Amino acid sequence: MAQEPTSSEQICGAAAWIIREGMKITAHSALCVFKRQPRGENEWFMNRPVSKTHGAAAWIIVELYNGQMQEHHLLQMLSGIIQWINPPDAVSTAIECGKSESEMLDGCRALLSIATITTPMMFDKLLKSLSPFGTLSLLSTLTCEVVKARVANTTEEETWSYVARDILLDTWTALLVPTVSGRNDALPPEGIHAAAIVFNMIVECELKAASASVFDDEDNSDYQASISAMDQRLSSYALIARAAIDVTVPLLTRLFSERLALLHQGRGTTNPTGTLEELYSLLLITGHVLADEGEGETPLIPEALQAHFVDIVEAEKHPVVVLSCSIIRFAEQSIDPEMRASIFSPRLMEAVIWFLARWSNTYLMPFESRRGNNCISGPDHESQHRSQLSRKALIGFCGEHNQGKLVLDIIVRISMTTLISYPGEKDLQALTCYQLLTVLVRRRNLCVHLVTLDSWRNLANAFANERSLFSLTAPHQRSLAETLARSAIGMGNTEAANQHVRDLVGHMTAYLVDISSKDDLTTVAQQPDAILSVSCLLERLRGAARASQPRTWKAIYEMGFSVMNPLLTLLEIYKHESAVVYLILKFVVNWVDGQISFLEAKDTAVVVNFCMRLLQLYSSHNIGKISLSLSSRLLNEAKTEKYKDLRALLQLLTNLCSKDLVDFSSDSCEAENTDIAQVIYLGLHIVMPLISVDLLKYPKLRHDYFALLSHMFEVYPEKVAQLNAEAFAHLLGTLDYGIHHQASWQVASKDMLHAAKIADTEVVNMCLRALNALASYHYKERGAGKEGLGSHAAGLKDLNGNLQEGVLSRFLKSLLQLLLFEDYSTELVSSAADALLPLILCEQGLYQAIFLNYCSELDKLI
Amino acid sequence: MSDEEHHFESKADAGASKTYPQQAGTIRKNGYIVIKARPCKVVEVSTSKTGKHGHAKCHFVAIDIFNGKKLEDIVPSSHNCDVPHVNRTDYQLIDISEDGFVSLLTENGNTKDDLKLPTDDNLLSQIKDGFAEGKDLVVTVMSAMGEEQICALKDIGPKN
Repeated sequence: MAQEPTSSEQICGAAAWIIREGMKITAHSALCVFKRQPRGENEWFMNRPVSKTHGAAAWIIVELYNGQMQEHHLLQMLSGIIQWINPPDAVSTAIECGKSESEMLDGCRALLSIATITTPMMFDKLLKSLSPFGTLSLLSTLTCEVVKARVANTTEEETWSYVARDILLDTWTALLVPTVSGRNDALPPEGIHAAAIVFNMIVECELKAASASVFDDEDNSDYQASISAMDQRLSSYALIARAAIDVTVPLLTRLFSERLALLHQGRGTTNPTGTLEELYSLLLITGHVLADEGEGETPLIPEALQAHFVDIVEAEKHPVVVLSCSIIRFAEQSIDPEMRASIFSPRLMEAVIWFLARWSNTYLMPFESRRGNNCISGPDHESQHRSQLSRKALIGFCGEHNQGKLVLDIIVRISMTTLISYPGEKDLQALTCYQLLTVLVRRRNLCVHLVTLDSWRNLANAFANERSLFSLTAPHQRSLAETLARSAIGMGNTEAANQHVRDLVGHMTAYLVDISSKDDLTTVAQQPDAILSVSCLLERLRGAARASQPRTWKAIYEMGFSVMNPLLTLLEIYKHESAVVYLILKFVVNWVDGQISFLEAKDTAVVVNFCMRLLQLYSSHNIGKISLSLSSRLLNEAKTEKYKDLRALLQLLTNLCSKDLVDFSSDSCEAENTDIAQVIYLGLHIVMPLISVDLLKYPKLRHDYFALLSHMFEVYPEKVAQLNAEAFAHLLGTLDYGIHHQASWQVASKDMLHAAKIADTEVVNMCLRALNALASYHYKERGAGKEGLGSHAAGLKDLNGNLQEGVLSRFLKSLLQLLLFEDYSTELVSSAADALLPLILCEQGLYQAIFLNYCSELDKLI
Repeated sequence: MSDEEHHFESKADAGASKTYPQQAGTIRKNGYIVIKARPCKVVEVSTSKTGKHGHAKCHFVAIDIFNGKKLEDIVPSSHNCDVPHVNRTDYQLIDISEDGFVSLLTENGNTKDDLKLPTDDNLLSQIKDGFAEGKDLVVTVMSAMGEEQICALKDIGPKN
């Protein structure tokens, strides 16, 4: 915004004025100074959240002065806004009676901005010079008022209490989030008490809101949306709870057991929905308090939970253990059919599974539990020792040598229940497959125990040999297959691991081999039940293929090998069934991806040969095929299906490419090695005619195609030279297209447009690099007295006897056209220059001619 | 798995088993479904619950594969829906008659003459023009629940 710099200067100016005046003015006066700016050109100034202005001012001031001066300034700020937020109950009542909330909200924002630059101790101390209680107590009372007001608000609108709550939660977060170094994060005792009070009120109000919400009419809950949308808020709750852990964990335990008692008492007589929803809320809050998400790493038990309860050295008395165990014992009851029917609704079960997933990732057989004792020395030996014991108890209670295996078994049985006894509950089953079971196979030490459990073997057996899990939607079966195959890392040796995989996938391959050899396949195949079975099995194969690891690649290779011919048969039979075709392609892509690096030369040749036949078959079915339909929607869907197929084919070629880059095979005999480059070009040649200019408008397809093309040109330019004229012309035609055509973007937002343009520039960049590679190759080869691009560069006579110009002269003209007369991003200048140089060197005569022409045209104009 | 679980009887009689029951939760986008006795292709699936702690239901948005109309249905996820048996067969196009019928060559050398050309102008011209240019055309005929229609066209002959 053009006005911003001006106003920053004004802030600086105002701050400088304050300094010059030697801090004689109060914060309130400082506000007046800011507000004195004429309304007109500084409208933005006043419309900005006041906290930002305060924040900016505070920052500048902190930078110039530290320690006492800073504290003084913040105190001045605080005293300036204190009336807007104190006393909280009076303020809240006034707003409910019609007073404007803007001052109160600004006051909250001021607290937030102070919180971002102070430690909790500093923050609390500020108010003490003005009143008997500290700032944290005020913050606590204020938060309680706001949270109460929010619950009391029964309208759909987001009122002041919604906004205020978010600001105040951010304030708590700013104060409580653990910092990495240096800063003292400790709370004063009154602060801990304040946090406990706030958490108590928060939970009370969440429960009230929960039981009230059951009367909502709206068809609610995409659970994913609700849990993740709430995530930020829940994380703030967790920080507050962890600040007062001595009080808050027992609180949660008590609330939990009270609700359970209610449920049991009311069974069969009262409608439990209100209590169920309260339990749902409690589980979400507890899950956040007890464990962190991890973000790709295995999360540790939060420090606050480990560090407190120093006097408790027996695991079963540790409040965190007590809470965890009561939830797990509750969850276990879902295995009983009667309990399930009366208490464990799908929604409640979703919260249970979500909780178990989050909790297990941290507490179930944690890595730390395997570490030995740490030696402690020093004057605090006694208390440090107890603290260590307490930590050990917490970390180890679900370790491998304690209850870990028992709890693991319970979790597996609960998972099985959700998959079998909740028919049609896709959201619940998705949580089980994608969040819970994946956690169980993430670490080797868990897998080692998993594979010894009867319950896990039952799951694997049901998957492989029974029909029950076929009623899951196919993508979940894919995930389950991957999980079960991945658990093989827990087997003792490679042979056992491979056998485990073979036992798992045997039924899949047997079925496909069997069905593809039936005489009446054509008639049978198009029946819906056959299509469903084939689809499920292909998805399972995909899942298993994705679980390929160094240890088990052999079994997975055998799996794919045994279905090669059946898959080609099925591709032919199902050529009109795009959903099945796509699954076949994706399976091959996943399978090749996991295998190619390990294959010996002979097997590589087999795989490559199979892939080429697959490509040829697909191409023969689809080339020149036009869908006819009265529905434009269906025609669009058909186009999308084509686009997805082509992406898969390009992925396949790209995966094959990687053989040249990453090769774990032990072959040393070069002669037998497949010429990967040749294969890729052949593949491209097959796939090319299917890629219309229209389809190249799909950004992901564009990107994949040009990434592959430019990789091929850069790494194997000599192969390009060997292509026949038609193939060559086609490939280079697309290159020309890629350089000049940037798709016209119709996207929803400015951010997306920006992202789209970046993606576009990337594509053009790749094309320019490809061009550079080609031209450089030709120049160097010719310099060494060789052919280079041969007739492609020299130009050939076409069928009518006309001389077609060579590719390099064509591109020289094309590139100059782009650089001189078209729009392009400045990010392309470098790669354009790199491409231009070898082109000029190869076609010096043409280049001179072009420029002489330009000059004479210019002369004419002048 | 034992053999009988995978033994599909071939339904030689075209009239038999036009639909197949399948659990609603297993029907995905781009699958098929019968809505209001019409065979449709699913273009959107979303799930919701019957009340907060009730069971899941699927909301299907689908397009009639023959007349292109949009149809919707909401079904509890654990219930069965009907999935149409959609058959697709390729035939070589031999001739287009004056009264709008096509003459098709079947695999076993017979001709199939009972299929009408689509009435939609756009579709009609695509077929007629291609045929008039002397191309060798293969048409795919889609049939379901007693109806049939040309759904795709493929040029397998040499281009001029």
